[in-house]
Amino acid sequence: MNCTEKTEKGQLGGDQCLIQMPLGLLGFEQFKCYSLHSDPAEEPFLWLEVTGNSKLAFLAVSPFVVLPNYCPEVSDEDVKFLGLESRDDALIFNVVTVRGPQQATINLKGPIVLNRRTFLAKQVIPVNASEFSVAHPLSVKAN
Amino acid sequence: MLILSRKLNESIVIDGRITVKVMRIDGDVVKLGIAAPADVPVHRQEVYDEIRRSNEAAVTQRTTSVPKLSNSGVAHEARPRPADWQDGQRNSDTEVNSQKHNRPNKG
Repeated sequence: MNCTEKTEKGQLGGDQCLIQMPLGLLGFEQFKCYSLHSDPAEEPFLWLEVTGNSKLAFLAVSPFVVLPNYCPEVSDEDVKFLGLESRDDALIFNVVTVRGPQQATINLKGPIVLNRRTFLAKQVIPVNASEFSVAHPLSVKAN
Repeated sequence: MLILSRKLNESIVIDGRITVKVMRIDGDVVKLGIAAPADVPVHRQEVYDEIRRSNEAAVTQRTTSVPKLSNSGVAHEARPRPADWQDGQRNSDTEVNSQKHNRPNKG
């Protein structure tokens, strides 16, 4: 399924773009097309929403805002799968779980890597995944 | 599911290119050595399960109130650093991956 056939790859407008995840997210393998939304009022968070299904969305954030030294080692096979030619091609963001008004965690074990040239993305398991938690606490306050 | 019996130091070969060898049996723990090409991902089942459960807990709707980071303005210089980007090599830190590269298992 190619979700970008109808729309120019990645282009939806200034604050959102379409991305393809051929393997889906783990547990959500059937959903392969997502729109990535950013709203200045919600920075640094992003929304990853299943295209055509407003009931399925994931909050995400750049991990480097939270953990500047975060260093997932993307495997050779994932670099190849995503067609990454240089590190500038890659954009990494991680899924956030909101657990309460002042409680949220970030999944560092399964980062989403996006090729920003092709808008192809994958939730990868880094080579050094054992160093990371799926539920690293985020320091948040209620909005 | 194919079920095979193997003794210590015996192996199975998958697809002619992946070898799984019984390295050690210690009570209810079996140590397996996995030799596979670098393009074959090998992870413990628990890693997949953990990430799947995390995704299932995270799924929501965009109407959800987005929290604010309480320590705003922290560093943001870091870039993604894929494994040994330039030379195509990779560092293997986990036990699973070190076995994948045929290093002797010291455990």
